[in-house]
Amino acid sequence: MQRTHRRASTCWLAYLSAILSSTASAVPEIVAAPEGLRQCVVCHGVELTGNRSVDAPNLSVLSTWYIERQLLNYKRGLRAPHGSTDDLIGREMQPMAAALDDESIVSVLAFAERVPERAALVTMMGDVARGAKLYTSCAACHGVNGEGNQSLSAPRLSGQSDWYLARQLENYQTGARGAEPGDIWGAQMRASVAMLSDEDDIDHVVSYINSLSP
Amino acid sequence: MPRAYSRREFLNWIGAAGGSSAVYQASIGLGLIPAVTLAAPMASVTELGSLRRSVVVLGAGLSGLACAYELERAGYTCTVIEASHRIGGRNMTLRSGDIVDEMGHRQVCEFDDHPNLYFNAGPARIPAHHKILLHYCKTLDVPLEVFVNENRHAWVHDSNAFDGQPLRMRAYIADARGFMTELMAKAINQRDFDAPFTDQDAERFFQFLRAYGDLDEKGIYQGSSRAGYQSGGMLVPAVHKTPFDFRKILNHDFWRIKMHWAEGEDQASPMMQAVGGNDNIVRGFTKNLKSPVITNAPVQSIMLRDKAVDVIYNHQGINKRINADYCLNCIPKHLIPGIHNNFPADYLEAMASVKRGKLMKIGLQMSERFWEKQNIYGGISWTDQKIEQIWYPTHGIHDAKGVMLGAYIFNDGTNAEYARLTPVERLATAIEQGSKIHAGYGKYVETGVSVAWHRMNYMMGCTAQWSEEARQRWFERLQRPEGRHYLMGDQISFHAGWQEGALSSAHYVLDDVNQRVQAELKGNATNA
Repeated sequence: MQRTHRRASTCWLAYLSAILSSTASAVPEIVAAPEGLRQCVVCHGVELTGNRSVDAPNLSVLSTWYIERQLLNYKRGLRAPHGSTDDLIGREMQPMAAALDDESIVSVLAFAERVPERAALVTMMGDVARGAKLYTSCAACHGVNGEGNQSLSAPRLSGQSDWYLARQLENYQTGARGAEPGDIWGAQMRASVAMLSDEDDIDHVVSYINSLSP
Repeated sequence: MPRAYSRREFLNWIGAAGGSSAVYQASIGLGLIPAVTLAAPMASVTELGSLRRSVVVLGAGLSGLACAYELERAGYTCTVIEASHRIGGRNMTLRSGDIVDEMGHRQVCEFDDHPNLYFNAGPARIPAHHKILLHYCKTLDVPLEVFVNENRHAWVHDSNAFDGQPLRMRAYIADARGFMTELMAKAINQRDFDAPFTDQDAERFFQFLRAYGDLDEKGIYQGSSRAGYQSGGMLVPAVHKTPFDFRKILNHDFWRIKMHWAEGEDQASPMMQAVGGNDNIVRGFTKNLKSPVITNAPVQSIMLRDKAVDVIYNHQGINKRINADYCLNCIPKHLIPGIHNNFPADYLEAMASVKRGKLMKIGLQMSERFWEKQNIYGGISWTDQKIEQIWYPTHGIHDAKGVMLGAYIFNDGTNAEYARLTPVERLATAIEQGSKIHAGYGKYVETGVSVAWHRMNYMMGCTAQWSEEARQRWFERLQRPEGRHYLMGDQISFHAGWQEGALSSAHYVLDDVNQRVQAELKGNATNA
């Protein structure tokens, strides 16, 4: 009885050391959110690749200047301000941004800079050819490959979650985004989305953006 | 001469006044009671003996803890990984100093440090037929006490009825039943309703109605002691309350759902709660667990491998890997797409088909238990306002203070709206609405805390919302393991939001893992 028990314990130790050695072996590089900013990846996903189930866009493809501006817009009440009811999903983000101090924003941007770019999964299947025609006016600011242009304050679009782009275009159309006094770039986008007049235009243009790679 | 009611009017009356319960009672009277089936037996995991198997459990909610507990007892090597700073998932009792880790609105619970000043922000009531949960409460030495779910002395309030005045539940129910049965009794007497009945049946049904509604011998409702006395009853004769106007009763929203709430499958008396807070159930597991439960360890990656699962989690800034034979995962399914994985597309599509639900509770510490002066000991008052319910603590009766539930919000739209308020604004609105039931409510409030489960860190939802279509198409897919990975928890049950749902799912998984391991063992023996 005693003997069996001892043999079991030996097996047990061998097994434990096997686990420990596997733990010690190379762990694939995954950029973890810094302590204090883990809440970002709960919704936006590990390495910020986005998660449609919680309406969180892909941040991995965005430039840090754009992320910073949006965080500040949320903080300053230029996007989904407290008390507004138009952009309810934006209202989920607003208190997160409001809770960040300057130092935390620097950390967020450093983290966003470090994560690898990953294009979001394609979920929309509009008419790409029609989208291409519509996109010609978008390209003036956002670039022919949707790569974005900081000097014009136009964010990158390629690789972004298509459902998110579509929702933002709708928000610009309804004024849920871009209508706050002081949001000058948002106001510019509000004027630009007027050309998406047909019901399916958003589908088409976003489907075309899906086909772009910078 | 009483006014004659047409059959159509009559049925409308019955339907309007909550006929389902009357019909149910009548069917019992006629001997048509459905058979009761027992719950499925619990899983029992065969001891491994000298064999070794490893399991990584993702999430230290009830299903995760139960799996680790059962598997380690059978000789499996278990590690539990938990993203949050705390163990227990949505089983959360808030006391003095506890952190409410809400996204964007971190709160600290400022209740007095007193054993009775707590509230169960998650599961709060245990039905008597939730066998697996009760099994664990019993075997893990978690003392239980009766929980008052329905209290006929509590208030029912509809802003648009009775001039917005709250009514005692017992008075409403007694009068509603009285009038309803009186109408039925009249219908019988008029022989409009006797076609399927013999004379004897009709007579029995008449007597049934009299008993059910407390009617006089002529079948007239004259008020009832069930409504509570107006006065007297001890040293002077009791005076019955004057019955409410039946039209006003029908105009009140209480009969639609609320009146029958406590007859629900999971709401019937008596219910139970853990003495000292329902998180003692969590403590019951952790006290008896030897396996490590690593907190503050969000999962980064779940990779299916041949006969194994690779999990990477981050702990204290370092990514760590566990390679286990099985991975049992109770992370909310809507957060899993945000974790690196190599799951097949249909598995992810199945997860995405289930929407995250919304639920909010607000706890208020009251300087005195003013409700007890109104004969209210435990239970729930109802209102048509956005706070929906007010709960009175069952525990700590006659203490100086108490923590009551100032809101329990089920409505999706209200939850979306309230989650976007600051905690201070939520308390203010709960107090304002509570004052409609308890005048001067605000003066008792010392401090409060709100828990918006759909905004809690690492949760972002409660409870899983399955559409009928998603159920048909994906439930079995999600219940079935993908390789060595199992998704579990109340989200993979027909009882989302209940601990028994979580534990039933856990036992389903335990049973399946056990069968697979035993089959492997047999295979090995055959090969040898």
